[in-house]
Amino acid sequence: MDEESIVYLGFSILAVFLLLIGLSNFGVFGFLMVILSLATVGIILVLNYADFLIFPVITKLLGISITLAKGNMAPKEQDRIVKYVNGLYYATGYLTANIYKYVFREEAIMGEDEQALAGAPEKWERIIINADFPFKFNIISNPKDIQKYREDLEGRRGFLEFQMSKESEREAPNSMTMQAIQRKMNILQARIDRISTGELPLNSIMYVETTAVGVSDKAAADALRNQLERLETLFSSLDLGVTRVTGREIHTLFKLNYVLYEGALMQKLFDSQS
Amino acid sequence: MALKSQMLLFIVFAGASMVCAVLTYTVGNSLLAFLLGVLALILAVVAFSTKYYMYLYIPAMRMKNKNIAISSAEPYLLSPSGTSIITSDENGTYASSFITIPIYKSGTEMSDQERLDIARLFSRILTVSKSTIKISSQLYIVNKDKYIAKIRNKLDESESKLRSVLQQAGSGTQITDRAKGEVTMWHNLLNNISASKSEALITYAMVSANGGNEEEASSIAYQHAEEVASGISAILGISAYVADGEEILNFIEPDRMIPVETVNELIHQKTVEEGI
Repeated sequence: MDEESIVYLGFSILAVFLLLIGLSNFGVFGFLMVILSLATVGIILVLNYADFLIFPVITKLLGISITLAKGNMAPKEQDRIVKYVNGLYYATGYLTANIYKYVFREEAIMGEDEQALAGAPEKWERIIINADFPFKFNIISNPKDIQKYREDLEGRRGFLEFQMSKESEREAPNSMTMQAIQRKMNILQARIDRISTGELPLNSIMYVETTAVGVSDKAAADALRNQLERLETLFSSLDLGVTRVTGREIHTLFKLNYVLYEGALMQKLFDSQS
Repeated sequence: MALKSQMLLFIVFAGASMVCAVLTYTVGNSLLAFLLGVLALILAVVAFSTKYYMYLYIPAMRMKNKNIAISSAEPYLLSPSGTSIITSDENGTYASSFITIPIYKSGTEMSDQERLDIARLFSRILTVSKSTIKISSQLYIVNKDKYIAKIRNKLDESESKLRSVLQQAGSGTQITDRAKGEVTMWHNLLNNISASKSEALITYAMVSANGGNEEEASSIAYQHAEEVASGISAILGISAYVADGEEILNFIEPDRMIPVETVNELIHQKTVEEGI
């Protein structure tokens, strides 16, 4: 969890704790207050970890659609962006597509990554051949501040070294714990080594978007659902983490078609996907 | 700017929530304390929701017919130079430029080592930009009407070329066969594209720049795009270039991915088939 989330969570839940400590103030309503307080904590936690579940439910129940820009609307289901052009409805949906296998994996067996990389172009072409509808695969990346990143890694390595020395000084050191710490240290060291060889650390977001067309909103939505399901199947060959994007994130992805932000605004997006 | 106002709104709601919670200790009436407690809980949820939903709060207050309009303006404007698109929001004025990356290599024709090399080179192009960059590969339906017209023109050209070759007395067999082969190729291509829907794959990169006004943002974005295009060209050994005008629309408009004329043709074909 990032620092910002901790601040938001901490200060939002503080009032709930104040209420629970002073339960005697509510007299006969005390029990009801406990239930409401726990429900509030539950809602806040769900908003923090899985707001994509709550937001579409609320908009669907209230029948609220959102106009993101002229001619572009997110219907109450919040699972697509619909554009009406020349009597046709164009529905665009999104899938996350994290290429875990093709990025740096310190614990990977030597040669395994190379094999996956060598096979990727052919698998990608197979996806293109089998998809008979339009789609886009997008990668957004932003270089990290090398100095800051290196300092962060070295700081974490220092802390692990301290933990290791503390564990080894014990009368009966736990070999399992020491192995786990050593493994974490190796991972950090491998990252530091890669930076030393000139590699640039990057933040990245990957997602797939597809557009379906129909003579009505419903026809376009049905076609879009089919296309997204087919894409999930097709991209499974690349061993990607594919999940349909719903809720407020589709608003952000829509905006990323037109503008890429810098600094804290973009960092929030990278943090949320990681 | 937006982040500051988001934090400010959070502090206001979280503060109000805590004030209500503290007040429950001071009021003697248990019903009043309960109502204040409920208000504190509601404000706590509202405070936390500013983290994700602040951009919806003010538009939600102006909601009409169950529709929240975040913006009723066009999502972008094409810059006067035609080399970028301009967007303006609460974060400032931004311009985005697009770089076309023409790649005509196929993995099926490569050895394992070549495939590994191309995958590595492709991942290297992510590092050519010092700022945020988007690399996209887009499969789209080719606008057949324009394509067919183009192929027909090519066919007409090749047929007239064949005629002139046949009329020339001294033309060799090799030249005649070549001209005939060209006519056959365009004929076959025309027949094939008429029979099924045609798709094309295009790869592009996108970079954005913030500026004090539209011209400044557009100029910075274009300059940055030129640098990125040079970097990509050097890494992949191709001629990447900054897209302009109509070409930009192919990357951002959904109706360009599935052209209206082609869709109408497909719907018509489907209707005819179902009718039969």
